[in-house]
Amino acid sequence: MPTHARAAPFSHPGWQIWPGLLLGTGLLLLVALGLLSILQEAGELDPGRTLASSYFQSVVRFTLWQAFLSVLLSLALALPVATALARYRSFPGRTLILRLMELSLVLSTIVAVSGIIAVFGRQGWFTGLLNIWVPGNGWNLYGLNGILLAHVFFNAPLAARILLQALDSIPAPRMRTASQLGLGGWWLWRAVHWPAIKPVLPGVAALVFTLCFTSFAIIMTLGGGPGTTTLEVAIYQALRFEFDFARAALFAILQLLICGSLWWLVFRKRLDTAVLPNRRLSRQVPLFARRWQGFSASLLLAIFTAFLVAPLLAIILRGLPALWPTADATSIYQQLLPATARSLLIAIPAGLGSVVVALLTLAATNRARLRWLAIVPAVTGYLPLIVPPLVLGTGLFILLRPQLGNTMQGWFLVALINGLMAVPFVLQILRGPLASLDAGSLKQADQLGLLGWYRWRWLYWPHLRRPVALALAYGVALSLGDFGVIALFGSPGKPTLPVLLYQQLGSYRLAEAAGTGLWLLALLVLIFVSLSRVPGVKSGTTSAASQPLPEPEHA
Amino acid sequence: MLEIKDLAFEYGPDGRLWRFDFSVPAGECLAIQGPSGSGKSTLLSLIAGFLPPASGRILWRDKPIHLLKPWQRPVTSVFQEHNLFEHLDVFTNIGLGIHPGLKLDESQRHAIEAGLERTGLAGFGPRMPGELSGGQRQRVALLRAILRRQPLLLLDEPMTGLDTETRKILYAMLLEEKARGITMLLASHDEEERRILADSHWNL
Repeated sequence: MPTHARAAPFSHPGWQIWPGLLLGTGLLLLVALGLLSILQEAGELDPGRTLASSYFQSVVRFTLWQAFLSVLLSLALALPVATALARYRSFPGRTLILRLMELSLVLSTIVAVSGIIAVFGRQGWFTGLLNIWVPGNGWNLYGLNGILLAHVFFNAPLAARILLQALDSIPAPRMRTASQLGLGGWWLWRAVHWPAIKPVLPGVAALVFTLCFTSFAIIMTLGGGPGTTTLEVAIYQALRFEFDFARAALFAILQLLICGSLWWLVFRKRLDTAVLPNRRLSRQVPLFARRWQGFSASLLLAIFTAFLVAPLLAIILRGLPALWPTADATSIYQQLLPATARSLLIAIPAGLGSVVVALLTLAATNRARLRWLAIVPAVTGYLPLIVPPLVLGTGLFILLRPQLGNTMQGWFLVALINGLMAVPFVLQILRGPLASLDAGSLKQADQLGLLGWYRWRWLYWPHLRRPVALALAYGVALSLGDFGVIALFGSPGKPTLPVLLYQQLGSYRLAEAAGTGLWLLALLVLIFVSLSRVPGVKSGTTSAASQPLPEPEHA
Repeated sequence: MLEIKDLAFEYGPDGRLWRFDFSVPAGECLAIQGPSGSGKSTLLSLIAGFLPPASGRILWRDKPIHLLKPWQRPVTSVFQEHNLFEHLDVFTNIGLGIHPGLKLDESQRHAIEAGLERTGLAGFGPRMPGELSGGQRQRVALLRAILRRQPLLLLDEPMTGLDTETRKILYAMLLEEKARGITMLLASHDEEERRILADSHWNL
């Protein structure tokens, strides 16, 4: 008889469900407490008067307007880019474009903004060229222009990546039929591409809308005045400068209502809302194309690449001289190194936390048989998209106000909120690999009694360690680049890297800012490169019996 | 004695209903034959506990086992393929059959090495299943099944597509197990397989 008479450690089914459930409930409670304290605070205010004020109305109007335009522009760029990437797989540098598109997801907004300023700002490359070609054009980055530009820079690649995934998942037989019929142009779009894109489009639009609606760092740096203030910034200003908690609370509630109802719509229709794309590569089928179509697609991709690369290139070129170890560079490092330490102190626990929460959440969701039990972990995963970070931050700020002299406490909160914010992304990375374990392996594991800890050690961990490393990289990177929650809780005297960068940009120390930007960028790349060295599933040469997993690579 | 008593199974609400009722004396091999789709694999999955029966009972040595979890049942399954964890090496694959946490003592490790040697796979312990031929993989799968020391072996087309040489080795291993008193259920299309291994036959 086999010797596993004693049960495997943690093999009771409860171990799969209760930790995730308790954690989820705890987080929900925390959020509820935050929201409650907001409500309580807002109760002291006459909502009618505030809501009727012209300042308030203009803020709401502008927030909606810029988010709407951002969605429109991002999708207008993302749709043709995704279609071109799906069709022309042999485009030179296609992999580079895909990597760049993923980088924009984790790139700290403030770093990207510094790059965008270097390209499109008053002394920027683009502006210089534009002034030669079209003198007296009156281009000004600050204001709506800059906000839209930055939003498109971040969201067009994200949207394109998700749309590309939808296009890649078109069943191969359908592609073969299209190829044989010689479909091209309109009918290829109408019969093959559009049906694949249509179901994900509302989710993508909602995601981009939420991200732009709650945009903070971009508005702070490129907004350029009270005329271009969003709700998120208004909350921050009310809290940080006017100490008007009641007003901040009211704004937060409104923002929550708008984001919440948007996601409610999306969820109700059960739309596919992949936040992050899986990398599942399908085989290329030759498709009919006219020559001008190929040409215009290449042109589009080239321009898109330039649009993504230029700000990064600007950061590198301007940052290098600042970081070069000369005599006067030491002063830069005196600021940089402590800021790096502070950033990592927040980002690493946040990243680890987000991975743990995501894993427990997934385990509980898969395990929970009762529908209402499965709701808790599912909500945990999407909570951050519904409750914007600054709203949550506001609630906890109001809740914990008396103790806020304590720096460590502030940082703990920042790490907590940042970790929560990363959960949807981390979840998305881990969900695919976890679900794609083949039925054969699961049957064997059941029969051999690979349960609990043993199941994790021998079945899940070998398959998941690479996705977990990638997820960790995303989690760390996202909170490393955070400039939102930290602005609320942090103290200006002890900046993290993004805050330092913001301060440098604000005081026009552009050379130092470029140095900090490059430093942050390099840190990001270092994280992804080192974590992508985690070995994946070994399986020797692939045989007919082995099913290669869709293995995510690093961004 | 394995007794299948009025065991019923249905795929989906309006799917086809299967009913099974038979018994196998201990230490014998029953061959089940029938065209594909006749429910051979379904039956073996029901006995292994991968599928829940709609009604009926499964008794092993007069004790009901149909309510037990797959890992609690006294059975080992060998399928035509997908018998091994592709991400773990040969030694680990076999070892997990002996202890699900790979906590093996010296004699158990020795048994694995000796088994590998006996099946012509000496030194294959550190190899990944993906590096092995179909016949080699099946030998590993059967070796694991044997080393698990469960009294009931469920064989679902275990030899399909294998070369004569491998078949000979596998036949020898299985006959030896039968001689030791292991009870077997063999689902197979193959006339030769049934003739060599089975003591009785049953048409589905």
